[in-house]
Amino acid sequence: MRREAVDRIAPPLYAAIDFAVILAPAVAVKLAADRGGMGDAEGVDLLAASALLGAAHAVVAFRRLRTEERVAVRRADMWLAAVDSLVMLALGATVLLVAVFYGFADEHASVADRGYPVVVLWTGVQLVAVVIAEATGRFVFWWLEPHPRGRPA
Amino acid sequence: MADPVTRRQLLAAAAGAAGSIAAATLLGEHVWPLLAREDLIPGAAPDVVLSPNAWTEGDDRLSFVAVGDTGSGGRQAMAVASAMAETYRRAPFGLVSLLGDICYYGNFEDRFEHVFARPMRPLIDAGVGFELAIGNHDDQLRHTDESLAEIEAELRLLGTPGLYYATSHGPVDFFYLDSSVPAVFGEGAPEQWEWLDAAMASSANRWKVVALHHPPYSSGRHGSTPGARRVLEPMLRRHAVDLVLAGHDHHYERTVPIAGTTYVVSGGGCKTTSTGRSPFTVTAESTLHFLHVEVEGDRLRGRAVRADGSVADRFELRAREGR
Repeated sequence: MRREAVDRIAPPLYAAIDFAVILAPAVAVKLAADRGGMGDAEGVDLLAASALLGAAHAVVAFRRLRTEERVAVRRADMWLAAVDSLVMLALGATVLLVAVFYGFADEHASVADRGYPVVVLWTGVQLVAVVIAEATGRFVFWWLEPHPRGRPA
Repeated sequence: MADPVTRRQLLAAAAGAAGSIAAATLLGEHVWPLLAREDLIPGAAPDVVLSPNAWTEGDDRLSFVAVGDTGSGGRQAMAVASAMAETYRRAPFGLVSLLGDICYYGNFEDRFEHVFARPMRPLIDAGVGFELAIGNHDDQLRHTDESLAEIEAELRLLGTPGLYYATSHGPVDFFYLDSSVPAVFGEGAPEQWEWLDAAMASSANRWKVVALHHPPYSSGRHGSTPGARRVLEPMLRRHAVDLVLAGHDHHYERTVPIAGTTYVVSGGGCKTTSTGRSPFTVTAESTLHFLHVEVEGDRLRGRAVRADGSVADRFELRAREGR
């Protein structure tokens, strides 16, 4: 495949995977609710929150790749950083959620009756994962790229 | 000419490859299935006030609910508890038979409020009684000090008289069993079976119902409990038990009458797992639910009620001849 074609296809494909990774835990919860017969509306709040966050970060990731394409001295650096970022996102967006909900079940449950916005916690935890992943991607790219001597990195 | 690969690129590539393998394994095999199976999202408790003591119980009449594996305190548990409260509002019942696993994600002493008191508050306030067949989260029940302490807490906090015991409500005698491995096959087994044999022999009521956690017959994820039929069935047959209620597998299933006894799995109190069908299956469904049973004279009618209030199954049993 020609390099121009890769340049055109790869960033949106990466953004789509990024979106799917953020959405996946909410899909798992929604499928569980559907299988249990909880009704169509159950789990939609988490799905919508993850979809919004996923869409926003997909745009950010797409722009990051486009920018790095322009400035990268070595294109491999860009893709290595992108893969590392995606791995961090995949692990963080799901494992962090499970850890927070499983590890602090009573803390969340104790305020659940007072209109506790579970969806805010869900989004907040995923946002932390997104920030960590985004920072990882940017840092690894910076770390890999050569920097001219005598100039601050 | 291509740039030479740097040490940093090798490190980044190795981290990416290792991370990808770890993520695929961890997420695909453990975390996403866990999210799809467990009930980790906190839920609001049912917010209804029920008329206290609204049920009718007499010598030939009883209404009760059986539900297993309720112990998450999450959204799905609350949905089932809400459906139970709604059922009480329409057709009041005075008893809930808990079929084990009443606490997940911690110990019962700490989680009592969240896994029992909050979801069941409307029923507790309405004066409904709760009886427990002790459950487990694995096969180690009663093998460790920790699990013994957990059982002790469950019995104490729910006012349960023992690991196995019998109760009588209207026309129904209930026999609650300890279905852990040591109690069924181990050193505690002879004592429990002798007690059960004697208790059933002296039972004079029209209906006999056995409640235990591990299902003798199940087409679900755990499946039929190995060896349980061999130990239990001769006694159930000898004493003409009408209905056996179990949890453990997170689905609903009802068998054809086997030697006159109908077996029900009702372990969908807060989470679901997939189920198949077996030659003994009349109906099986992976759904959040509870079982509502109404006994009137020589008829026992059961309904499996889903979390949204719809009915997954209906059945009717006739009293044994001579009772």
